[in-house]
Amino acid sequence: MSDLLTLYGKTFSSRLLVGTALYPSPAIMRQSVQASASEIITLSLRRQNPAQQRDNSFWNYIREFGCQLLPNTAGCKSSREAIELAKMSQEIFQTDWIKLEVIGDDYNLQPDPFGLVEAARELVQLGFKVLPYCTDDLVLCRKLLDVGCEVLMPWGAPIGTGQGLLNKYNLQTLRDRLSDVPLIIDAGIGAPSQATEALEMGFDAVLLNTAIAKAQDPVRMAQAFKLAVESGRIAFNSGLMLRRQTASPSTPTLDMPFWQQAESMLQE
Amino acid sequence: MTGKTKARIAIAGGGLLGRLLAWRLSRRDLDITLFEAGDLSASEGGACWTAAGMISPLSELVHSDKRVYLLGLQSLELWSDWSRQLEQQSGRKVEYRRAGSILVAHGKDRSELLQFLRELQGKLGESARGQVQLLDANALVELEPALQSFEQGLYLRGEADINNQCLLPIVLSILRQQGVNLREHSKVSCEAGQISLASGEEQFDCVIDCRGLGAKGQIEGLRGVRGEVMVVESREVVLHRPVRLLHPRYKLYAVPRSDGLTVIGATEIESEDRSPISVRSSMELSSALYSLNPAFAEARIVETRVNCRPATMDNMPYIHNEDGLVRVNGLYRHGYLLAPAMVEQVVNQVTQQLLQVV
Repeated sequence: MSDLLTLYGKTFSSRLLVGTALYPSPAIMRQSVQASASEIITLSLRRQNPAQQRDNSFWNYIREFGCQLLPNTAGCKSSREAIELAKMSQEIFQTDWIKLEVIGDDYNLQPDPFGLVEAARELVQLGFKVLPYCTDDLVLCRKLLDVGCEVLMPWGAPIGTGQGLLNKYNLQTLRDRLSDVPLIIDAGIGAPSQATEALEMGFDAVLLNTAIAKAQDPVRMAQAFKLAVESGRIAFNSGLMLRRQTASPSTPTLDMPFWQQAESMLQE
Repeated sequence: MTGKTKARIAIAGGGLLGRLLAWRLSRRDLDITLFEAGDLSASEGGACWTAAGMISPLSELVHSDKRVYLLGLQSLELWSDWSRQLEQQSGRKVEYRRAGSILVAHGKDRSELLQFLRELQGKLGESARGQVQLLDANALVELEPALQSFEQGLYLRGEADINNQCLLPIVLSILRQQGVNLREHSKVSCEAGQISLASGEEQFDCVIDCRGLGAKGQIEGLRGVRGEVMVVESREVVLHRPVRLLHPRYKLYAVPRSDGLTVIGATEIESEDRSPISVRSSMELSSALYSLNPAFAEARIVETRVNCRPATMDNMPYIHNEDGLVRVNGLYRHGYLLAPAMVEQVVNQVTQQLLQVV
């Protein structure tokens, strides 16, 4: 059964997007990306003085993976900065995809919703395919759609915290209200079970970096996340049962008299 | 060896590895030539000049493979011995210090210390316990009175550091004494038994290639990783050993040197750009330093250095050994941590090769 993820008209069979930072070495990063089966990888230009170098060994190495590259604007604190970096990334990586980050708070790296909408509007007009990293606020998400974003990436929790889905109420609201928009949970995922949960809730994909890169064995953790994301997606497609208040045996119990069975059924 | 003529050895690259190799080999009956693309006495060029000279196998284990740790332990022992020999031979101090190192994190980043311990235990098992001492605020201030704003820290007793600005000129002076042929401003490429210069080829019994990033293109996957350090001078704040500040995003080390100097670093950026230090990096380094002790605010920035560390794609040291050629490279951020152990390996391989020739 084909169950593809479509982002800006391109289809992908993996629903896991991974970052390329913080790994013990580029070789381990490559093995981890392979183990994760990701087809979209993010990378950051921010500190690398892009104007100075077209021929960076590290970037050439990443290009050879054959994945869709998703340059990000990590560390940008104003829309102007983010737009300039997006243009430079487009030139260097030959892609109009951009993971848009405009940071509003230095300590928890929380997105600045105002700068984000401003930058998204301009980048969409310039022809970029913008994937904004945003908070889980419904109104912000709608504004981002209004300015032309076709995919949204709400956070689960602040970057690098591994706290999982902190505000499930807001996230569920986003999923329910924006039912036909691809939503990718970006940031805050620390454990495979949290990724599974996001997919079970109906999110289209998850994006993460630290949880794999900083694991003691990144390659095996990447595999764990691959399975977790697949599992969550299959579960979502299969229709999860509703929660119940009391236990109910899935097969009739022979040793229980029928009137007690009737009683326990009534309690449900 | 028959002893009729001395075997001729070429060493390409006058950085830390090249100098130490020339020194170790010059103690044998060999005819040694050291080629350097730049100037051997200028304190610029290779990554060895930019480094802070820490020899810290435990602190580094968290970001690296256990093999790096094991080589580092071997190097620690060699440095103790070699620094004594170098001081005897030159009559000068190399400023090798084995006073351990300290790790601290601010209150809200305290989980970084626990994470560090956990990763150490994950890699070393229970043996990690005996090597790391948890310090409370009092014990910390007793060791380092300048670190007053921390509730706890970790003490890695066995670690060491060496002042590279002293060491590198001292090794050079010994090479001069020992009659090593020093060929500066000689950019070369290395093949088995042969050094190629702009002026032509020269033949040797064995060529040792330790040119660092100069060997790019001859070693697959060799890349540069940019690092930036600052040197500050302060009379007010005195540290007695390397201190590392753990933070979720910024890493800082501060290594005290003689004359009130402290070397702080170091960024790690996947880039081969050697342009001067960025404003962002200097702010990050400065504010991290300031957070160690606010009195650092009045320290003077006397120098900034930028360089690229030679690394392979797996960030592990690289040795290649064929008849007439040994290549050693990719010491990455572990130059002083790994150099003696790598030098011993190369000296053994070269000696083996020379024995087989005869």
